[in-house]
Amino acid sequence: MRIQDPRLHTFVALSSVLTGVETVQLFGTGQAEAYLVTLGKILPVALLDDLFKRFEALPAEEIEAAVEHQVLDDTRLGCVAQNIILMWYRGVWRRLPDDWRASFGAFPEDENHLISGAAYQAGLQWEIAGAHPIGARHQGYASWSLVPTKPNRRNTA
Amino acid sequence: MSEPAQYDVVIVGAGIAGALVAKRLTTAGLKVLVLEAGPDTTRSIADYTSHLETFYAASAKGAESPWPPAEAAPQPDGGDLFKDKSLPANSGYFIQNGPHLYGSTYTRTLGGSTLHWLGVSLRMLPEDFEMGSRFGLARDWPIRYDMLSPYYEQAEHEMGVSADVVDQRYLGLRFSESYDYPMHRVPPSYSDRVLGAAVNGMRVMVGEDSVSVQVRSYPAARNSIPRGSYQPVGALDVDADGNARRSFLGERCEGNTACTPICPVQAKYNANKSLAQADRRHLTLRAQAVASDILIDKSGHAVSGIRYKRYDDPGSIQHTEEIATGRIYILAAHAVENARLMLVSGLQSQSKKVGCGLMDHPALYVWGLAPFNVGSFRGPQSSSGIEDFRAGRFRTRHAAFRFDIGNDGWHATTGAPDATVNDAVLKQKLVGQRLRSHLEDQLPRQVRFSLAVEQLPNLKNRVTVDPSNRDKLGNPRPVIDYEIDDYTFKGMIAARKVALAVFRQAGITDCSSNAVELPFPVAEYEGEKFYYHGMGHCAGTHAMGDNAETSVVDEYQRSWEHPNLYLIGSGSFTTMGTSNPTLTLAALALRTADHIIARMRKHNPGIEPGPRRRKETQRVNPG
Ligand SMILES: Cc1cc2nc3c(=O)[nH]c(=O)nc-3n(C[C@H](O)[C@H](O)[C@H](O)COP(=O)(O)OP(=O)(O)OC[C@H]3O[C@@H](n4cnc5c(N)ncnc54)[C@H](O)[C@@H]3O)c2cc1C
Ligand code: SF4
Repeated sequence: MRIQDPRLHTFVALSSVLTGVETVQLFGTGQAEAYLVTLGKILPVALLDDLFKRFEALPAEEIEAAVEHQVLDDTRLGCVAQNIILMWYRGVWRRLPDDWRASFGAFPEDENHLISGAAYQAGLQWEIAGAHPIGARHQGYASWSLVPTKPNRRNTA
Repeated sequence: MSEPAQYDVVIVGAGIAGALVAKRLTTAGLKVLVLEAGPDTTRSIADYTSHLETFYAASAKGAESPWPPAEAAPQPDGGDLFKDKSLPANSGYFIQNGPHLYGSTYTRTLGGSTLHWLGVSLRMLPEDFEMGSRFGLARDWPIRYDMLSPYYEQAEHEMGVSADVVDQRYLGLRFSESYDYPMHRVPPSYSDRVLGAAVNGMRVMVGEDSVSVQVRSYPAARNSIPRGSYQPVGALDVDADGNARRSFLGERCEGNTACTPICPVQAKYNANKSLAQADRRHLTLRAQAVASDILIDKSGHAVSGIRYKRYDDPGSIQHTEEIATGRIYILAAHAVENARLMLVSGLQSQSKKVGCGLMDHPALYVWGLAPFNVGSFRGPQSSSGIEDFRAGRFRTRHAAFRFDIGNDGWHATTGAPDATVNDAVLKQKLVGQRLRSHLEDQLPRQVRFSLAVEQLPNLKNRVTVDPSNRDKLGNPRPVIDYEIDDYTFKGMIAARKVALAVFRQAGITDCSSNAVELPFPVAEYEGEKFYYHGMGHCAGTHAMGDNAETSVVDEYQRSWEHPNLYLIGSGSFTTMGTSNPTLTLAALALRTADHIIARMRKHNPGIEPGPRRRKETQRVNPG
């Protein structure tokens, strides 16, 4: 049995705020550990520790606004946080922008890639669309003829 | 050659054309060899699943992504078009001279391009066979709709096409009495239904004609609910000895939204299903055998053999050379490869038209946001179309067109949902609940139309070969000259206008007109830019006609110069019309098979007659 990374819960809690998707659903993708491993392979430990510490220090109320200001707006951590969102929604790692790499380091594994076939299928984008990953988890004969199940949550902002 | 031929018939290519002919000829008792360039990795569930895994793991999920070619049998790839922006573009399998890029591709793996086709199975319209006499354009076909109609019926049964005849009687399409498709129509998507409710019956002017618009379910080679005793054929599971194991997968379409590039359960037809129904006692299938040239006997006319290169390892070009002999030879390697094979063998034909008249359906995308959730990204990639502009008096002036109405959001156009997520996260800087709400709102409202536009045979559009430019195996690569002409551009303009009118009527916000720098080939006409894509509808390279001066093959797809040589497939199309070509090429292939059987029977009365008194063929999926 593998030893669970103690940072996993912090990572998923942060991810939940970033993606707008509940932690239980994130764990439900089966990809949480794989994504944390991916982060660890690409980025230095110190950077990840800073990210998680920054998040843990934020007040629980108004957490989304706090994450926006303290994490997303940070020139070093912001791009990494965006990449975490893309990882969850799409199952990919995006190469960090050139100016980020120039300032904070160009790491050899930091290249555009799909994390895995399973990560592709687990991408939140499909579920959020009320759909299924193209080529997998089909919804069954004639399901596409039915009224879409997701209520249309219009933007109120 | 004095030695007796090894086979009655040698077929080059195990795509749908080759497979249907092989099935019919072996059922009649003819001894058939099929040479297939690609590997035999698509007939067992285990092998097929590894292609599916390749697709899941691919970063770019293009039409060819599950079907990487063998080193010895390269194929064009959609990605090639952008590696090399200057002309001649030389980075992929094709060498493209332009002026416009030829955007279509095909697959060189056992089963051919039906592995990644979409499955749209429309018939050509009666008037499509008569472009010369009706519109003064190009030439008439040597056959008419009614001559092909019985073969359309047979092809629809061979392929397993789902549709209701009541939906399909339009613009002169006629069916024999009491005929219906083998399966009920695939249920239209929710978005088709709401779009139809909004626009059906609206009128649009095209030239002097006022045309009524109808969202119509199209015939699809995807398994649905069978009619009568028809038994849908699902996933194949053939073992190493060629025995088909029973499999229940894929007897219904499940809505994987992945017909292109790979139907996970094989609810969509692919050519291997037909090949598996051939009479195995009379069939020899040789995969990893790339035909390299056609040998002609001393008379200078009859074909005496096909030389081919056989490789053992798809990752290597190590090969041995062999010659296959038969009494009759059939090229079924698809439009570009058929022409390439003829030309490398020095068989130009008397008309000098081999390779000339290459066509496609250059297609535009128009996309927008529906006013409410229409449930995008569900179901087959499309299930309906707008067909009302496939015919009309305007055809004297510009191309006809049809719309395919997507169920897959902006997947094909912008690369959604990935592109939508990127835009939201990286450009709009959304996070958390706002991000989620934005995507929940946008993604299920995404709508796209593909506007497939007719193209006429222009002899300057052609496939040639350049002996100094070869693939790794040493076979000259196809060189392509291709230009979209005024007739098609004007059709594109009309098509776009109609599409935008339909959008307005349905309250769909157009998001395509201002899009710039799209990842598609681009052409300019009268100051306007057209981003177009190939539909995979390669055609016209060995067109049929009624004489040897103006055409390459006769109405049975038999070479005028080489009496024991047939060139089959969409290469034989005289004109293109607007229907996706495969059903028509399948019908033509069955007609050719019957003709060959009749011809062989004259010399050997022991051969079983054509389909009507055909023996029950071995079923792939028993029960
Ligand atoms: C993305 C895409 C979507 C499409 N969707 C549709 C659709 O919805 N409806 C429709 O009607 N059509 C569609 N098409 C077109 C359709 O796939 C083709 O019309 C059809 O598959 C052609 O059948 P074929 O048997 O003539 O050729 P293929 O299916 O291409 O088969 C030719 C076979 O010959 C083999 N071969 C090639 N060269 C050699 C050689 N030198 N020696 C030996 N073997 C050789 C190949 O490996 C292949 O197996 C689509 C195409 C694409 C690319
Ligand atoms: S929609 Fe899915 S199950 Fe149906 S034919 Fe296409 S890929 Fe196969």
